Amino acid sequence: MLAVTNIHKAFGTNEVLRGVDIMVEKGDVVVLLGASGSGKTTLLRCINFLELADQGHIRVGGIDIAFRDARKKDIHAIRRKISFVFQNYNLFNNKTALENVTEGLIIGRGMPKSQAVRIGKACLDKVGLANKFDSYPGQLSGGQQQRVGIARAVAVNPEVILFDEPTSALDPELIGEVLDVMKRLATEGTTMLIVTHEMSFARDVATKVVFMDEGNVVESGRPKEIFVKPKERRTRQFLQRFLGDSDYAI
Amino acid sequence: MNPRFIFETFLKLLPYLTVTLEYVSLSLLFGTLLGFLAAAAKLGRNRPLRWLANAYTTILRCTPSVVLLFLVFFILPAVMRNYLRINVDAWPALFFVVVTFTLFLGASQSEVMRGAYLAVDRGQFEAGVSVGMTEWQSFRRVVLPQAFFFALPNLTNTVIYLFKEGSLAFTIGVVDIMGKAYLVNATNFGLKALDVYLALALIYWPLSVFFEWLGRLLERRFGYTQVKPEAGKTAESVRGRGRSSIRGVRA
Repeated sequence: MLAVTNIHKAFGTNEVLRGVDIMVEKGDVVVLLGASGSGKTTLLRCINFLELADQGHIRVGGIDIAFRDARKKDIHAIRRKISFVFQNYNLFNNKTALENVTEGLIIGRGMPKSQAVRIGKACLDKVGLANKFDSYPGQLSGGQQQRVGIARAVAVNPEVILFDEPTSALDPELIGEVLDVMKRLATEGTTMLIVTHEMSFARDVATKVVFMDEGNVVESGRPKEIFVKPKERRTRQFLQRFLGDSDYAI
Repeated sequence: MNPRFIFETFLKLLPYLTVTLEYVSLSLLFGTLLGFLAAAAKLGRNRPLRWLANAYTTILRCTPSVVLLFLVFFILPAVMRNYLRINVDAWPALFFVVVTFTLFLGASQSEVMRGAYLAVDRGQFEAGVSVGMTEWQSFRRVVLPQAFFFALPNLTNTVIYLFKEGSLAFTIGVVDIMGKAYLVNATNFGLKALDVYLALALIYWPLSVFFEWLGRLLERRFGYTQVKPEAGKTAESVRGRGRSSIRGVRA
């Protein structure tokens, strides 16, 4: 499905990824955990070629190529198999919610407009925004915008959807509505690779949890293994606040 | 002041508006194209091109327009004759006006466009390519319309500036409305200068106001990015709009 091997990325002298391997099988919900600066976001951005990795290999949907060898045409082909949900939503501000979803279908894939609109409406309906087709991003709340972002990512029917901290820019009241949508996608078998700090979501929804630190994968496994019996000291340390129940006893 | 004379002069000047509008529209067209290229060079990765575009902007911005007009008018023919073997002596003076203001606008427009481009969050471009658009499609469909909106106030400014500054053309013998006013004034031995130039102002004023109005109209037409959040919504709903994803500070 999606396999990334030995990926390296440095910004100047700052080595952000130091040989990461990630494997996502069809139907998997893989959650990437780790402290800020551990390289999670950079990993996602490299997979989608929003940053160019210095080294490494990617295999997705029949394409098998080293990052450095990928030409414009290869990058475009890979991006069509992967979609991306951004921390800041990044909706097209000059387009309505429906146009945000159909744009990739009509312009990117040359789909007839009527078909794209049908798919777009279905996807927005799925994320609970059937009454917001004609709203512009500026008229939507953060949670609604992010749900449009998810609908946009789902509409192009990708092999895998990458989520980059999809709830981090939301206030606590709005996080739930976005996580609910993601949970529903998970139960429908959507393949997802998610960077998040929502530990309960990771524990309850993930099929696999990957813990990263300083540009390396420290430990990965089923959520039960990671959350209940982390093997590595660094993982335990990171999860301590979430697992330990006495920290905030009042 | 003689209202009748002012009105007659006004009618006399009016036909020459076509000349004014000719150099305004041609300079605007070519200047915008040049500005687009210069802005692309400044934002691009090619270092020599970037340097060249910046140097061009600096030099042009530091030259008074009337000085540039004379330089173009006196030097360009010599250059073309000696190096390109093209004799431009018979070419209309209007040509040199258009060259001058194209060079000027290229410099200022390149900065207007660079600013407008940077005002559109790069994340939207990234989102565009992430849903399967090519980089060009994402630029044209998502970035460009919004950048155009951000450039509009400055663009209106530029048109009005050009419309008025173009009156310098009379110094090299172009008979536009300014040139004609100058001639009418001379025919009257400068005795009716006030009336003549008042008549001229009566052309400049309403047209400038018209350009202003046109700019505002376009701003409304392309103003979708400025949709205000509905009442009761917090600033949260507009957050995605700022330059919130500055490169290099990501986790």
